[in-house]
Amino acid sequence: MSRRLRLRPSLRDGLGLTAALAVVAIGLVTPPSGTAAGPVAARNASGDGFSATRTISRVFVGADGTESTVASYDVTVKADQTTNLRGRQRIRISWSGAQPSGGRAANPYGEKGLTQEYPVVVMQCRGRDDASLPAAQQLRPETCWTASVAQRSQVLRSEGESTWRRDLYADEARRAAVSGAESVDPAACPPLDVASYSSALTPFVTRAGQTFSACNATTMPPEAAVDAAFPPAEIAAFTDENGNGSVNYEVRSDVENESLGCNDKVACSIVVIPIVGLSCAQPASPPTLDDKACRKQGQFAPGSSNAIGAGIDLAVGPALWWSESNWRNRFTIPITFGLPPDTCDVLDSRAPTGFYGSELLAQAGLQWSPAYCLNKKRFKFQLNQTSDIAGFNLMENGTGPAAVVSSEQESTSTDPVGYAPTAVTGFAIGYEIDRPDNAGEYTRLRLNARLIAKLLSQSYLGSDLGRQHPGIGDNPLAMMNDPEFQQLNPGLSEITQEAGAALLSLSNDSDVIEQLTEYLAQDKDASAFLAGTPDPWGMKVNPAYEDIELPRPSWPLLDTFIPETENTCRQKNPSVYFSQLAAPVTTLRKISEALLDAWPNVQTKCDFDPNTLLFKIGRVDRQSYGARFVLGVVSLGDAARYGLKTAALQTHKGTFVAPTDDSMGRAIALSEQRKPRLPFVLDQADVAEDGKAYPGTMVVYTAAKLRGLDQDTADKVAQFVRVSTTEGQVRGSGNGQLPAGFLPIRKTGPTGKLFDAAQLVADAIEAQKPAPTTPDQTDAPTGGGDDAGTGTATGGGDLTPPVSDVPPAPVPTSPATTTPPVLAIADPAPTSATTVQESGTAGRLLPLLLLAALVGVVVQVGSRFFVRPPRRLS
Amino acid sequence: MTMTAPRPDQATRPRRRVQPARTPRSARPPRVPRPPRPAPQGLGAVVGTASTMVTLVAVWALLQLLVLGGVAHDREQTLLYRDFRVQLAETTAPLGPTVPVGDPVAIMTIPAIGLDEVVVEGTASGDLLAGPGHQRGTPLPGQRGFSVVMCRAATYGAPCAHLGDLRPGDDVDVLTSQGRKTLNVLGVRREGDPVPAFTDPAAAVVTLISAEGQGRLSALTPDTTVYVDAVSSEAFPTPAGYGGVAPKAEQAMQRDTSALPLLALWLALLVGLSTAVVLARQRWSASLVWVVAGPVALSLAWLSTDTAMRLLPNLL
Repeated sequence: MSRRLRLRPSLRDGLGLTAALAVVAIGLVTPPSGTAAGPVAARNASGDGFSATRTISRVFVGADGTESTVASYDVTVKADQTTNLRGRQRIRISWSGAQPSGGRAANPYGEKGLTQEYPVVVMQCRGRDDASLPAAQQLRPETCWTASVAQRSQVLRSEGESTWRRDLYADEARRAAVSGAESVDPAACPPLDVASYSSALTPFVTRAGQTFSACNATTMPPEAAVDAAFPPAEIAAFTDENGNGSVNYEVRSDVENESLGCNDKVACSIVVIPIVGLSCAQPASPPTLDDKACRKQGQFAPGSSNAIGAGIDLAVGPALWWSESNWRNRFTIPITFGLPPDTCDVLDSRAPTGFYGSELLAQAGLQWSPAYCLNKKRFKFQLNQTSDIAGFNLMENGTGPAAVVSSEQESTSTDPVGYAPTAVTGFAIGYEIDRPDNAGEYTRLRLNARLIAKLLSQSYLGSDLGRQHPGIGDNPLAMMNDPEFQQLNPGLSEITQEAGAALLSLSNDSDVIEQLTEYLAQDKDASAFLAGTPDPWGMKVNPAYEDIELPRPSWPLLDTFIPETENTCRQKNPSVYFSQLAAPVTTLRKISEALLDAWPNVQTKCDFDPNTLLFKIGRVDRQSYGARFVLGVVSLGDAARYGLKTAALQTHKGTFVAPTDDSMGRAIALSEQRKPRLPFVLDQADVAEDGKAYPGTMVVYTAAKLRGLDQDTADKVAQFVRVSTTEGQVRGSGNGQLPAGFLPIRKTGPTGKLFDAAQLVADAIEAQKPAPTTPDQTDAPTGGGDDAGTGTATGGGDLTPPVSDVPPAPVPTSPATTTPPVLAIADPAPTSATTVQESGTAGRLLPLLLLAALVGVVVQVGSRFFVRPPRRLS
Repeated sequence: MTMTAPRPDQATRPRRRVQPARTPRSARPPRVPRPPRPAPQGLGAVVGTASTMVTLVAVWALLQLLVLGGVAHDREQTLLYRDFRVQLAETTAPLGPTVPVGDPVAIMTIPAIGLDEVVVEGTASGDLLAGPGHQRGTPLPGQRGFSVVMCRAATYGAPCAHLGDLRPGDDVDVLTSQGRKTLNVLGVRREGDPVPAFTDPAAAVVTLISAEGQGRLSALTPDTTVYVDAVSSEAFPTPAGYGGVAPKAEQAMQRDTSALPLLALWLALLVGLSTAVVLARQRWSASLVWVVAGPVALSLAWLSTDTAMRLLPNLL
């Protein structure tokens, strides 16, 4: 774009070839071209990660004062992404060479992960591990976040439990009976000076400098409250018997955790501490209980489970991560946060130009917008998320300059609309499923169209409540009980969960649902199932959804079955059970968060509120780690940002395609544009035929009017299209770059046609070619003709005259009105004339009724006298 | 017309009142039974019955449209006003754009034609039975932009019977959840009049639509739409989300055919009631039967006419 603007004046000025050449050269050198994307992406990928190796060991000092190393490991820790992170983003941290863990907890997060032996503690801390920095910016245990007291403080431990006092590397203060209690508020904490009991506190210091003494649950920062908004992120992760392990660690910005306070300005780190056990100082003679406890080496065999949370040897557990023996073994992964979402509002006082539409672009919009608002030559871009059709309507009626949509929308105005391809992304079926027996997460979910159809059509029963449902009482309770699912995904738990009967989806109109249902419609098995044919195992479709019309822009809740039950709560709150299971939400983001928290949106939990004596129905609890089973429709951008796993979808028998650059590129290659400036259409039949293209691939378009926009707005939209299809397609996590989950649009390759189409539409938007005026004006009045000719959009069409089309040429010859001065009746000539609506019925009905009544009375009276003889007088 | 089914029964009632069902009480002097009227035969019977039916249907419909409809409209207005003032006080009154159809959205006062009505959401024929209707997809009156309000010209209270008499400069007061706003009438528009173009995007424009007729019976023949534009240079802000197009049934002078199934139900109930009355008369006295069946018949007739009204143009 900038190249064009610079070229034009230089050519017109005719300053000569030199100037023109120079400008062209500058244009070529500037990075925003598709060819430059490769190297930049590669640099980012290599510069973004973290890898470090060090030797960690456990040392015992014997009674004679000799040191003996009891264990030593060369541990390597890696992280895949450390820069420009966003709140709740999940990054992959893996390690090798660590001591195998034992006594595996069902839920390794937060307090629940404390009863494990030899875990790897991963936590987020404020500050950097750099001795050259001022003390306030340095990382220390007091700036590391834990969500509970038990993770950071040992309060009133008897002898034999206070092993940290025998820590070889601990300083004098830590060896005292009470340590870390200097700043403790005696009123808030229990008395710690109790004979023969020891306490060690690790207070938490917030970013603002406030110290929470962490001696009980009430002296913790507010984000660490019981049942806080976000589940704990810090984890005591498990190392397998080969010494390897990995975890998807969720980072928290100051939006989620203000006390921790990490953002783009406050540096933070992720601390990884492989626990090898406390190193112990020279024992007393005879050895105290603490001396013995410090030397313990664990009760659980490597790889074993400790699901019941039995006691462990504290010396090899994660609770003493702060003790010097453990703390000195830490790996510090420095991380940086990206600009917060409100950067543009804070730093740029200009009025934003809001584009309205698809949430598929959300993650890209987050990274793109600072590249606009922080550049004074560009406008202030703002992406407002609405449904596709709502965004399109706002664009058509002039509220929004452009819409962000993923397919051609029904136009209600006469102005032509151009669709410029802006990004390639799509949707996926995200999931969070654990393998049984504490075997970790399931990572290769495969689904076919019929399974999705079964979920969407609410054909699983959910629980025994659903068995009374007429017609489908013999269906499996949930997907994990469906033989078809078990065949595709062997080895998963068959324990029924209500969440296994639901695919969390959108409640409103969306192109995502349109494409998902198109995928179901082209699949023979799925459409036969929805048409009423039972599957080979005899499962039938829910009669409420039988023969549902596909594809459709939104998925309705059609079931009306209210189960009869003895449950008092359900009797007081009779409601449609299957709708409670499905409980669709309004945004893809909510679905992503439900998956992130493993918190299904199933609304079947019945509570009794003793205060109001009422029963109420609400969302079920978060699923416990180790038994998770949640499915939801997510955008690929969200899935990449939050580290959500995505299912591979069946294209034809036996072929399952996951969303990758390759499979999305193939889908783009299959899509066709039927007319210039219109969207490309991806025919799901072609996808099925191809076999390797991802069915959920979607192109996000910037749709804007090609006529009727004012030039200023048109320039902004054209600029957006050009910038986002060039420099916005460079992969990376920085401002203006394309986040993961999107396939870059390049000048060549399968996406080349999208690039060409985008430039064509950008030119057309910028040009704003005015329409031939005469036909347009004859159109408008005739639109609202008589009854027969009235279309859906007209009728009152002439009542809303165009606001911005008419040049502000007030003619003061308005008939004697008290019109306020700002309003003027424009010259009647260019506007249309009033067209009235006429109705013969309305005009004739009352007179006809009157006439009928009169005639009736006359005939009645007449018949009395003339037809029927009067009564004889006797 | 559509409501002929029940009438024969009512019409034939007096002639069936012949058999001395009960013996007269001893306290009264025995009445000499009057000789029965000869039952009409042949053509006479047909003409007589038919004319009775036609008269009843036509008179009832007229009564309902012009008189009872007005009563119903007044009652609706009272209830709507009561709801709306509570909503205003609680600041829960709607701001648009997704107000459920039939809910009160504003109070509109035009002193010049004596209009003082609660405006409801929706402009389908059925919605306008309650009072003036605000067209969906347009901002609420008083908000920035072009809003459309329609109301009936002849029936059901005829709130806009004199809309065409407005003069430029007359006040149109609207009271919504955002406050009170006075708009000035710009003029009345009829066929061929130029549509004013508004150049000020910050203005509130309300277009009132009703119908009017010509000639001697003009009050009863509203067959042509009439438009009144009222403007205010200051407007309340408009919430986002407008822009949908109201369905066809909510455009000016359109009818709402979705009422047909309901009408069929009412008519079937009326037929059923007639049958029940005939059967009941075999066993019980006329007065007893009619004390029970009368209110039912009345309310069914009322409901049928209300529903049939939805099939008629909405501005009638």
